[in-house]
Amino acid sequence: MSAPAGDPDASPVRVLVADDDADIRDLVEFKLTQAGYAVEAVPDGVSAWEAFEANPPQLAVLDVMMPGLSGIDVLRKIRESGHPSVPVLLLSAKSRDSDVDTGFAVGADDYVIKPFSPRELLHRVNGMLARAR
Amino acid sequence: MVGAALLVGATVVILGACLLLVILVVAVRARRHSRNQRDEMLLSPLRPPLITVASGEDDDGAATEELTWATGVSRTVLDRNIVEMLTKIRGVPADQLVRVLEVHGAVDAAVADLTSRSTVRRARAAQLLGLAKAEHTVPLLVTALGDEAMEVRNSAAYALGPIGDPVAAGPVLAAIGAPERGLPAATAAEALQSMGVGISEVLRDGMGDPNPRTRMVAAHLSGERSFTRGLPELRRLLDDDPDVTVRETSATAIGRLGRGEDVDILVRHTVDSEPLALRRACVIALGELGDPAAVPALATLLADADPRLAELAASALLTMGPDGSSALLGHEDDAAVRSARLMASLQRASA
Repeated sequence: MSAPAGDPDASPVRVLVADDDADIRDLVEFKLTQAGYAVEAVPDGVSAWEAFEANPPQLAVLDVMMPGLSGIDVLRKIRESGHPSVPVLLLSAKSRDSDVDTGFAVGADDYVIKPFSPRELLHRVNGMLARAR
Repeated sequence: MVGAALLVGATVVILGACLLLVILVVAVRARRHSRNQRDEMLLSPLRPPLITVASGEDDDGAATEELTWATGVSRTVLDRNIVEMLTKIRGVPADQLVRVLEVHGAVDAAVADLTSRSTVRRARAAQLLGLAKAEHTVPLLVTALGDEAMEVRNSAAYALGPIGDPVAAGPVLAAIGAPERGLPAATAAEALQSMGVGISEVLRDGMGDPNPRTRMVAAHLSGERSFTRGLPELRRLLDDDPDVTVRETSATAIGRLGRGEDVDILVRHTVDSEPLALRRACVIALGELGDPAAVPALATLLADADPRLAELAASALLTMGPDGSSALLGHEDDAAVRSARLMASLQRASA
C-alpha cells in the first residue's frame, strides 16, 4: 500500500486511533503505520481526549462505543475545542440510520460500520486527508 | 430452648452456604483468569501474523502460512480468535482467515459439531459456518433452524444471513411460525435483511402465510428492501388482513415504496371506524408517499378527535411542499400544527 502523498522528507501525518477492542486497535494501527502514518493508539475515550489535547493529530479514528467517554463524546469535545477542522472518522458496530445520522450531526467527516474492510478504511483516511489539505 | 438451637443451626447452615458460594465464585473467576492468561501466552507468538493478515497487509501470504502451521492447543486458541476477528472485519483479509480455519479443519469440525449433544457447541458451530460463509453447509444450517435449543436456532438464522443463499430465505421465514420451535421475528428479519434481492419472491409468498408474524416480517422487509413487486400483496394485506399489526406494517411499507395510486387505499383506512394505530400508520405513510393527491384528506384530519393523529396529519402536510403548506393556512394556531412545526424544527436542528 502506498504511503500518504506529500513530501518524503516531511514528518509523517499523525493519526489518533481510539478503540477499546484490542483486535481492531492493533490492526488499524498496523494498517495505517504500514501506509506511512504516525499512529497513536489508545484504548478508551478519556485517553483519546487526553492524547488529542496534548498533541492534536491531523486525523482521528474513533470507535463510538468506548468506556468512559464515547467516540461521540470525544468528537463533540474536539468540535467544541479549537480544532473544528481536524477530520474525524467514526468506526462503529452501530449500523442503524439514526446512529449514522447522530455521528454526522455531531460533526463526523466519515462513518464506517463494523465489520469493515481495512483496505476501505485506509482509502477513506487517505481521501479525508487529501480533502483537508 | 429448642427454638434457639434451631435458629443458631439454621444461621450456621446459611452462613456456610454463603461462604461456599463465595469460594465457588472466586474459584470460577480464578480458573477463567488463568485460562485467559494461558490463551494470551499461547497466542502471543501468533498475534503479529494474525494482525498482519487481518489488516490486509499479507501480500506475500507468509503470515497466513505461519498461522496455518499452528498446532495443538495453540491452534484451538488461534481458531477461536480468528472466529472473533471475523465478526469485526470483511473483505480479502476475512477470506484469508477463513482459509486458515479450513486448513486447520475447523470448518469440518463445525459441521460435525452441528449434531453435538452440547447446545453451546452446536450454536458455536453454526456461528463459525456463517462467518466462514460455508455455502455447502446451507442445508445443515436450515435443519438447525428446527433445533430444540433456541440459541442454536438463532445462531443458524444469523449464520444463513451472511451466507446469503436465497434458498434459505423460505425456511428462515417459515421458521417464524414453526410451532414450539419457532424463531423470533426480529432474528428472522435480521437474517433475511442480509440476503440479496433473490428473496423478493419468498417475501411475496410469505405475505400469504397463515402465521401473522410471518406475514408481518414479509411485509416489513418488502418495504425495507423496496421490493415493488410485492405491492399487490401489501395492498391486499392492508385491506383484508385479520391482524391489525400486519395491516399497520403493510401501510408503512406502502408508504415507503408505493405510488400515487396508493393514496386512495391509504386514505380509505384513515376513517375513524378503523383501529387508531392503523389510522396513524396510514397518515404517516401518506406523508412518506408525498403525493399531493393526499392533501385534502390530510387537511380534513387536522380536526380529528385524536390529537396525535391530527399532529401526524399536520407533519405529513409540512413535508408536502407548497400544496401541503397552503392546506395549513388558517390552522396556524391549532395545537396539532404548532406541535408539528415544533417537531419539524427540532428535527432540523438535530440533523
